[in-house]
Amino acid sequence: MTKYIPTIGIECHVQLSTKTKLFSEVDNDARDKEPNSCVSPVDYALPGMLPRLNGEAIKYAILAGKAMNCKINAYSRFDRKHYFYPDSPKGYQITQFYHPIIGEGYVELPSGTKIRIEHAHLEGDAAKLTHFESYSLVDFNRVDTPLIEIVSMPDIHSAEDAHDYCRELWRLMCYAGVTNGDLYNGNMRFDVNTSVAPEGAEKLGTRTEVKNLNSFKSVERAVTYEIDRQSKLLDKGEEVIQETRGWSDATGKTTGQRSKEEAKDYRYMPEPDLPPINLAEDYIEEESAKLPLMPMNYREKFGKVLNTDILEILLDYPVLMQKLNEINAEHVVAVANLFASVLLAEEKSAEYLNGLPSAKNLNVLIEMNKNKELSSTATKEVFLRLFDPQMKSRDTKAIAKELGLIQENDLGTLEAIVDTVLAKPETQKAQDDYRAGEEKVIGFLVGQVMKESHGKANPSSVQEILRKKLA
Amino acid sequence: MEITREDIVHLADLSDFALCDTEIDSLGSDLKGIIGYISQLEELDTAVIEPTYQVFEMENVWRSDEAIPQDANREQLLALAKEEKDNQVKVPKVL
Repeated sequence: MTKYIPTIGIECHVQLSTKTKLFSEVDNDARDKEPNSCVSPVDYALPGMLPRLNGEAIKYAILAGKAMNCKINAYSRFDRKHYFYPDSPKGYQITQFYHPIIGEGYVELPSGTKIRIEHAHLEGDAAKLTHFESYSLVDFNRVDTPLIEIVSMPDIHSAEDAHDYCRELWRLMCYAGVTNGDLYNGNMRFDVNTSVAPEGAEKLGTRTEVKNLNSFKSVERAVTYEIDRQSKLLDKGEEVIQETRGWSDATGKTTGQRSKEEAKDYRYMPEPDLPPINLAEDYIEEESAKLPLMPMNYREKFGKVLNTDILEILLDYPVLMQKLNEINAEHVVAVANLFASVLLAEEKSAEYLNGLPSAKNLNVLIEMNKNKELSSTATKEVFLRLFDPQMKSRDTKAIAKELGLIQENDLGTLEAIVDTVLAKPETQKAQDDYRAGEEKVIGFLVGQVMKESHGKANPSSVQEILRKKLA
Repeated sequence: MEITREDIVHLADLSDFALCDTEIDSLGSDLKGIIGYISQLEELDTAVIEPTYQVFEMENVWRSDEAIPQDANREQLLALAKEEKDNQVKVPKVL
């Protein structure tokens, strides 16, 4: 069996979360809105309508580019890409074919592998089509939503790296704050080019393109399928056809689509309605400086103290990392563990993420746990209460006190409770058994004291006192 | 420049135009005439001239990111379509 080396390049479309569209002053957030309710005559491409560039999209492009360590091109401009399809009322897409705004860069995967970025450009999205048995319906709400198309170099050589690259891109765009990052609603879509060639071959194999994948898992599965399919074809002495293939999550397979239009003829021409962009060096610097901390910065900062698995889980949530960044260094591990094991396990964790407690409240919570004022169970309980909108304005200590969760550590008080328990007739047998050498009944006695204290006693102190008294 | 029947059929295909034989012929000769006329420009020596992308020397024209009320509403826009259904434009089945 020949060993084949896969080579993968990925194009990713990112919908920008600007308030208005790329070329018209219309609401860009069409989530939960009626079809064709966020449209203007410009989106409909009525005769004489002129596109007007949204300046915010340029700022977003600079941030997105910087998030991928890319050069920002001072000079960029728009072109028309012609095609005939009902999703494009203009009959062309306005894109940046010759002079994109974002130049070369790279994305570093969690594993350390670097995937080079060839370029990225601004363009308008197409209308949304819904297909029925004998007709299709067109919703123009999505027309000219600003997109950044990110084109990678063919630097990816496994399905896992394809998955990790897409996930890291998603994180970078979310951290940069340029997209809502809602994959389910198509805020990021991936086109994956895959080819295989025998190990040691100088030339790459014939590639296929799987379009419009909208989850990391689909990317990974589609690439795995294509590598396998292409390798088997070559093993049989057959050829891979260069074509666009569709992916089905349900069947787990790719299937060939029409190859008729393979010879692409987009008849690009400069967009005469939009003057070129020519950014001053200090403007680019000023906008670039607004880039917040990126996943890589957090990996550098917390990589040594946090378990890698926990860190990588938390990195999917920029707000958690921002919060962690405000926490006292000595409490970071404890807060990260609460985030990962308690918060994200909650059913309503998505809601909780919108209203994180203050860093001060979290710091105090961990201090109280370390001072044994709160047991680990009580710590988790108070932690969740800190998210309660009613409780939020109050401090951790007041909340813990009100809930009666503060542990009793005072030795005198604890001894008195222990004495009460030991005086009870129902504990006499256990006491005798313990003295007779039955070590494990100590658990029963500690339980009785905890009950007597309404759960407030510090169990390890109680055990110490019991052992002393029964000695 | 020679315009072949294949060129016309290809262009019509890209725009989803159905052309009959006589139209292919007449469009072919029309296009040939237009391109021939414009080709006169090729006689000019443009070796030292920068390509022109834009006839105005404007740069950096953009607007602020604020939504403004639109002159046309959904009903007016949908009324322009040949057919509509469920507030969407209905088109023949594609793909």
